[in-house]
Amino acid sequence: MDRSDKTIFARPEALTDTITHYCPGCTHGIIHRLVAEALDSLGVREKALGVAPVGCSVLAYNYFNCDFLEAPHGRAPALATGFKRLRPDMIVFTYQGDGDLASIGMSEIIHSANRGEKFTTIFVNNAVYGMTGGQMAPTTLAGQITTTCPMGRNVEQTGQPIRMVELLSSLVTPAYLERVAVHTPRHILQAKRAITKAFKYQSEGRCFTLIEVLSTCPTNWGKTPEESVKWLEESLMSYYPLGCKKDPEKPELNDGTV
Amino acid sequence: MLPGESVLTFQPPSITKGIVIIVGGYGSGKSEVAVNLARHLATDGPPENRPITIADLDIVNPYFRSREATERLQQLGIQAIHPRGGSRYADLPIILPDIKAGIINRNGTVILDVGGDDAGARVLSSLADAFVPGEYELAIVLNANRPFTANVDGCLKTMSEIEGSSRLKFTGLISNTHLLEDTSEETVLSGLVLAREVSDRTGLPVLFLSASAEVLSRIEPKEIDVPVLPLTRMLLKPWETND
Amino acid sequence: MAKILMKGNEAIAEAALKAGATNYFCYPITPQTEVAEYLSRRMPEVGGVFLQGESELAVANMLFGASSTGKRVFTTSSSPGISLMQEAISYMAGAQLPVVIVNIMRGGPGLGGILPAQSDYFQATKAGGHGDYRVLVLAPSTIQEAVDLMMLAFHLADKYRNPVMMIGDGMIGQMMEPVEFPEKYKEPPLPPKTWAATGAKGRKPIIIKSLYLDPNLLEDNAWTLHDKYEQMKKEEVRFERYKVSAKNRILLVAYGTMARICQTAIDELEKKRISVGLFRPISLFPFPEKQIYQEAGKKNIGDVLVIEMSMAQMYEDVDRAVRGQKQVSFFGRTGGIVPSPEDVVEQIEKLIDKRKPKAKKKKA
Repeated sequence: MDRSDKTIFARPEALTDTITHYCPGCTHGIIHRLVAEALDSLGVREKALGVAPVGCSVLAYNYFNCDFLEAPHGRAPALATGFKRLRPDMIVFTYQGDGDLASIGMSEIIHSANRGEKFTTIFVNNAVYGMTGGQMAPTTLAGQITTTCPMGRNVEQTGQPIRMVELLSSLVTPAYLERVAVHTPRHILQAKRAITKAFKYQSEGRCFTLIEVLSTCPTNWGKTPEESVKWLEESLMSYYPLGCKKDPEKPELNDGTV
Repeated sequence: MLPGESVLTFQPPSITKGIVIIVGGYGSGKSEVAVNLARHLATDGPPENRPITIADLDIVNPYFRSREATERLQQLGIQAIHPRGGSRYADLPIILPDIKAGIINRNGTVILDVGGDDAGARVLSSLADAFVPGEYELAIVLNANRPFTANVDGCLKTMSEIEGSSRLKFTGLISNTHLLEDTSEETVLSGLVLAREVSDRTGLPVLFLSASAEVLSRIEPKEIDVPVLPLTRMLLKPWETND
Repeated sequence: MAKILMKGNEAIAEAALKAGATNYFCYPITPQTEVAEYLSRRMPEVGGVFLQGESELAVANMLFGASSTGKRVFTTSSSPGISLMQEAISYMAGAQLPVVIVNIMRGGPGLGGILPAQSDYFQATKAGGHGDYRVLVLAPSTIQEAVDLMMLAFHLADKYRNPVMMIGDGMIGQMMEPVEFPEKYKEPPLPPKTWAATGAKGRKPIIIKSLYLDPNLLEDNAWTLHDKYEQMKKEEVRFERYKVSAKNRILLVAYGTMARICQTAIDELEKKRISVGLFRPISLFPFPEKQIYQEAGKKNIGDVLVIEMSMAQMYEDVDRAVRGQKQVSFFGRTGGIVPSPEDVVEQIEKLIDKRKPKAKKKKA
């Protein structure tokens, strides 16, 4: 029979059958799916451990179908370090937002990257504190309005937004660092390739891997999902350029030398 | 204190160099040996050894350093060099300029009490230009009951690490095997066996054996054919007394 | 095994290895850094994990991750470092993770000094971090006891799935004493660690967390923890008595190094025909409350005197335990000053003078 039913789209095995708490127009759901697809494609779900942050994805452990730890705010890389050092045979990832990683957890992420810890960090950057209701993040753009910078971010007082992959790429220790977005099918495919490559490098024990994903937050940005995608493209992407900043197979990229 | 006739018949240590550098593994008993050697030279030693200066170069141990015996040493006319005031209690690696000056302008005998292991001995490197070969004694304190110097190979490894970090060469050994209050005659004598083996392997002399005066009183002098320094513990724990 | 001479810090490190804890995370701080130095040599020999983290904050969170594997993990630090670890300790207590933390205490508050003190008693015994939790606290007074309690700590951490803390003042870490290790460490059987995150193969995912957004579930978790602490109070109270007898006029209560100084003082007083007994808590949580109540209640006891290298911290627990049966007084030195046996003798003589009939005090 040439008309037999064939599944062409299904929930990845690495996701549970749960309705998420994410708002309409937020891209956390897409990013979750890409991580799950990467775990499935490498066949590592049964030996995977995720570490959830404090932030909007605090409940990520309910959505992934693998073992999970829930970390204190910013400390996911420390938990991942402790776990992975004892279980180098497992696949470990942290899933962190911009407040968690670039503010309170800055020390932990830099030192984990610098030690070359063999885990993967999925860094979701939406330029705002989502969970607590839209406060200024270290990644909030200059002039961007949040509840703690109602007149717009004043970079004279609060500094310029931090570009994490560029900052981490200045470390001499080898790493795979790439920034991606997930607001169009083309970007989603690129992001999937990057995330899969990160997990592949990890499973080969090669280096620390971090994928920064530019994400939307219609609720706290005060924009419709369509407006959010437009703002992401016009504003976020012009300050946070997409692309690979460091890759052990691309020595021509930033090797940490100044 | 037991005067112990037999103690008196042990041959006392003889110091012929103006600088005596006491090093050793962590917890070998260096500081106790250093302060007791200073006390011995100041009270019973030959006049040519005097005056006696003791310098605390321990930058790795926060407690139980020779500086804690300062007052008693000063009463015996011994000059003690160590950080003063608040720095005395610091865990900063403080090396006073007085130490180098004391070595160069030496008069009598200078005893340097150095911190444990190669980490503690590294401080000697910074003073390297003050030491003239042939004019100093670099002695390692050996305690066979310490984990890393329990056998000849362990001792040789510790010695080579200390020589590496201090940039100085050993000139002698001090047998100081003990188990604090659990020390027996056998403890002391078995330690001497180890020191002899190290001596055979390295060609270095056993400068002296040190042990508590109380234990020594139970050992026949003929059983120890090297000079002996009887110890009176001066670095005590808060609940310990010396009587 | 024959006795060897070890510094407290080294002995604690070796004891952990003997108990099968071969995973250690650390950050240097005086007066306990020798533990890290010793283990940096030993861990490669035993095939364990040794990692110097970027801060005590990170180290304690590394323990959270490491403990989640189900393997035995530990750290050592000193007072200011332990303060930084409180975040993860609270999370680990909430998530019911076993871990052993050693605090070789120095004087505080703040940066304080590096000399011995017992001023982290409150922090250790009353939950140093946020939330309704306790850690089991053990306090050795000799290096041999530090070895024995360190090995026991791992067993108790696994038994209760709870952080266990061993606290000793700097003297315990820095002094040398002869110690003996068992050839082979034996411990009672423990249940399998079915809670550990080992990969969701053939089972549902395991989630290790302290987050319960539903208040009913959070309260349930608080009760689960509470029940464990009640079980500890029944099964884990440890203490020792020194020269406690019907002749005692005064009961001393002291722990750790301070207890040894009290022993010397008691021996001195015996020569003067003054009979004093010492009650030494070994477990500070659970606190030997009932036992102190009973000892203090005995007819011959006129006074209870708590002696610490801190400012009347354990005093509060002793006073509560005595429940007004007797006057409870306090004597202590702190900041790194260690009371001498003579200081203790003097305090006891003062107490006795107060009780003499001729020295009747006017009532307020």
